[in-house]
Amino acid sequence: MPSDFLVFENVTKRFGSLTAVDAVSLNIKKGEFFSLLGPSGCGKTTLLRMLGGFEAPDSGRIYLDGVDITDLPPNLRRVHTIFQNYALFPNMTVWDNIAFSLRVARYPKTEIRKNVDVMLELIKMADHAYKYPSQISGGQKQRVAIARALVDRPQVLLLDEPLAALDLKLRQHMLLELDIIHDQVGITFVYVTHDQGEAMSLSDRIAVMNRGHIEQLDPPAKIYEAPLSGFVAAFIGDTNFLEGTVTEIDGDYCKLAVAGFPNILCFNDKNISVGSPVHLSVRPEKIRVTPTPPPADKDPRINVFRCKVTDIVYQGTYTKYWVQTDSHRISAIKPHSRFLLDQDAITWGDEVYCWWHPDDGYMLEHFTAADADLVQMPPAGYSLPKTPAAQPSPAAS
Amino acid sequence: MKRNAFPLVMLLLVLIFLYLPIVVLTANSFNLSRFGGAWEGFTLKWYAQLLDDRQVWSAFANSLLIATGATLASCLLGTTAALALHRWNSRLQLFHYGLIYTPLVIPEILMGISLLLTFTAVGMDCGLHTILLAHTTFCVSYVTMTVLARLQDFDDSLLEAARDLGAGAWVSFIKVQFPILLPGIISGGLLAFTLSIDDFVITFFVAGPGSSTLPLKVYSMIKHSPKLPVINCLSTVMLALTFALVLASRAFQNLKQPKSLTKGALS
Amino acid sequence: MSAPSIFWLTLFFVVPTMLVVAISFHAAAPDGGIGKEWTLHTWRSISNPNYPAIIWRTLWISAATTVGCVILALPCAFAIARMDKKWRAFMAGLIMLPFWTSFVVRVFAWRLLLHPEGFVKHLLLAMRLTQPDTQLLYNSGAILLVSIYSFLPFAIMPIYAAAEKFDFSLLEAARDLGARSFLAFRKVFLPGIRRGVISAILMVFIPSVGSYVIPDLVGGKNSELIGNKIYQRTFPDRNLPHASALSALMAFAVLIPLALVAAALKRQDRKEALRLADGNPVKQRGGAA
Repeated sequence: MPSDFLVFENVTKRFGSLTAVDAVSLNIKKGEFFSLLGPSGCGKTTLLRMLGGFEAPDSGRIYLDGVDITDLPPNLRRVHTIFQNYALFPNMTVWDNIAFSLRVARYPKTEIRKNVDVMLELIKMADHAYKYPSQISGGQKQRVAIARALVDRPQVLLLDEPLAALDLKLRQHMLLELDIIHDQVGITFVYVTHDQGEAMSLSDRIAVMNRGHIEQLDPPAKIYEAPLSGFVAAFIGDTNFLEGTVTEIDGDYCKLAVAGFPNILCFNDKNISVGSPVHLSVRPEKIRVTPTPPPADKDPRINVFRCKVTDIVYQGTYTKYWVQTDSHRISAIKPHSRFLLDQDAITWGDEVYCWWHPDDGYMLEHFTAADADLVQMPPAGYSLPKTPAAQPSPAAS
Repeated sequence: MKRNAFPLVMLLLVLIFLYLPIVVLTANSFNLSRFGGAWEGFTLKWYAQLLDDRQVWSAFANSLLIATGATLASCLLGTTAALALHRWNSRLQLFHYGLIYTPLVIPEILMGISLLLTFTAVGMDCGLHTILLAHTTFCVSYVTMTVLARLQDFDDSLLEAARDLGAGAWVSFIKVQFPILLPGIISGGLLAFTLSIDDFVITFFVAGPGSSTLPLKVYSMIKHSPKLPVINCLSTVMLALTFALVLASRAFQNLKQPKSLTKGALS
Repeated sequence: MSAPSIFWLTLFFVVPTMLVVAISFHAAAPDGGIGKEWTLHTWRSISNPNYPAIIWRTLWISAATTVGCVILALPCAFAIARMDKKWRAFMAGLIMLPFWTSFVVRVFAWRLLLHPEGFVKHLLLAMRLTQPDTQLLYNSGAILLVSIYSFLPFAIMPIYAAAEKFDFSLLEAARDLGARSFLAFRKVFLPGIRRGVISAILMVFIPSVGSYVIPDLVGGKNSELIGNKIYQRTFPDRNLPHASALSALMAFAVLIPLALVAAALKRQDRKEALRLADGNPVKQRGGAA
């Protein structure tokens, strides 16, 4: 198939008793920006290293453009890696670093000079060509690493958490740069990260990994809006989990009995039958919070409930509220699209109305109790002892 | 935070303690008095006597020769040993590490007598060659440890990057690892050189009659000859030489690593 | 890759060591060589009444040297590790510089210094700390002093290496919580550099047991150490098996504490690794040979 440019076929890798990668199969399209996203230990880096040739799979094959590269050593693969700490050769200048792969491949000197200069122009470091890695900044190092890897036109570029070592502002800047470079150069990028923001902003498709297998492989918006499992719903962004049983089916929607709530309506996209258990994921930004009930002209199908505000986190563009009903703690996000200081703010202890449209909740295919633990909850609270501990007598040390 | 002055005071006292004999020695090399008890006037005549002493210079030449040979051999052996120890983690390497580490912690006299017995047992006559073999043996451990320490600071991802960019194992080593390791190897080599020049106990046991190195000559002068002040001169000269060597190695190290300038602004 | 060094060291280190043990089980030939048969005769004659005294003297001087060196090394290493980076390297170099000069010459210098007409005697007399007829030289005290002098850099270096890696903000935290300097030093700093101290102890005690030059030049007839006896049996007496037996004895005296310490450290390392591996997948790179 034309889209099978980079193929992992049932790849497994074990380290001792730990299975890092568990029978993973995936296809990456030519020219796409593909991300492997997941918590530490999920196997994403191992997968990347197998692609680079630094680990050998225990079973399974890897194909690049139709060629089986599973047994090829790293130096014979047309795949280059950007390492997390850049791994620039400290005893060589920027120029020599970029020229390295061309020199090893014995390109003629004029070719080398031409290609390296083109690369220096691309990353805008022509003025720093004769500096050593110890003399340039983090962002510059990263650009040099990218240039070094791209200069001999590999088929795939692997990036192993390349922005992890940079501070926030620089990271945001480099995100844009990576995007531009990918568009300009047009080769396949495989990007490993634990940062959802990076993955979602850069990728054409994301593979969310957990404990050695892929939970979901989809474009970013689909991953976010239509998570297949409780893990994906909780790992990416934030969400609320509601557990219930189907009581009635009403056309495209079904009614759920959820503990402590009046009947919940949700969109039935999975053709589920009466009596089946359902796990619903509702993202906080889909839930509206108001001191007054929803206006009468709203869709009658919306789910409404009354609750009390227990925690508030102000974040500038929005405020996150945790509200408490008899049985649940729900988080909701209120964006501040108007000048906030002119308005009456909702505060702790207020009785408010929360409501969301049944179209905006999503039924999960897989859910385990561990997934619920991934959702960030504010702690129950501390209590300090009333008086400080008695002072020790001066004789004690 | 107010710092306690005690450690600094101790440091100062210890430094005085360490340098006292050296200062006295150097001063006495210019002292007219034979026994150095009191200052009797400035003179260079002991240095003149030193220059005339054939035996001292011949011993010095021997020391240099052996030290150079031992340094070269032990650098080669030590570097390969360090690379093997760093790369692999097997039982063989555990045994290997024990082999390297043990000579560092046993008293020299054991090595001296064991080598003498071996040479006697195989019927080998003792001479400069046996000294060379002995020196190489104990130098290997020092070079290995120095290079190993450097290797442990070495960023292995650099080797992976080189292979990733198309270089085979040998090219990666030569172009990437070796240049970075070189200061460490030279450091180990200088250490070996100094230890070899200064070694007494092992040399004492495995030198035969007729071959002498500088420390051996100094010792025999102390024990038998009345030319005490000349020893002071000799040691002052050796001290100056060592000082120069250490400075040179420092300067060399700074040369290898370009000083990092202030980090450029985001561009 | 490991072949050259393994080969060389086996040939020139392991084999000779085994030879020493083997020869100790032979008798001395009258011409100074080694007798043909295996015998326990040499070992039996070790119980000569002189030896225990010598062995005891060697051990207590080595122990005292070790204690002295460590006590002096601790504040020095502490002071250096606290300095600015550029001063640290300079100071470390300054401490090591005497080590690079001829060892024999330095011991000889002490012989001059401790001479009845020498500098130290004059100084101590001036400060009324001693009598005119006190012997500073040719006794165990001189050996102890010069030993501490010679081995001090060996104690400072490992302790300093550990101190350099020590996180000094821990001491600030201790002060912040109310501990006074010496208490913080004892309860926070010392345990933190424990490995360095153990290293220092080994690096001083073991060579000190084999000391030859120091007792030979500044020790007297009544303060011989094992090293002197081994030399005596080898060269003037030409009794190689005897020398071997003494050397083998010395080797045991040295290797046993070494092995114990190494085993204890290994056990500690393994416990640490198990503790850290709990819950974290251990990334392993590279394979076994």
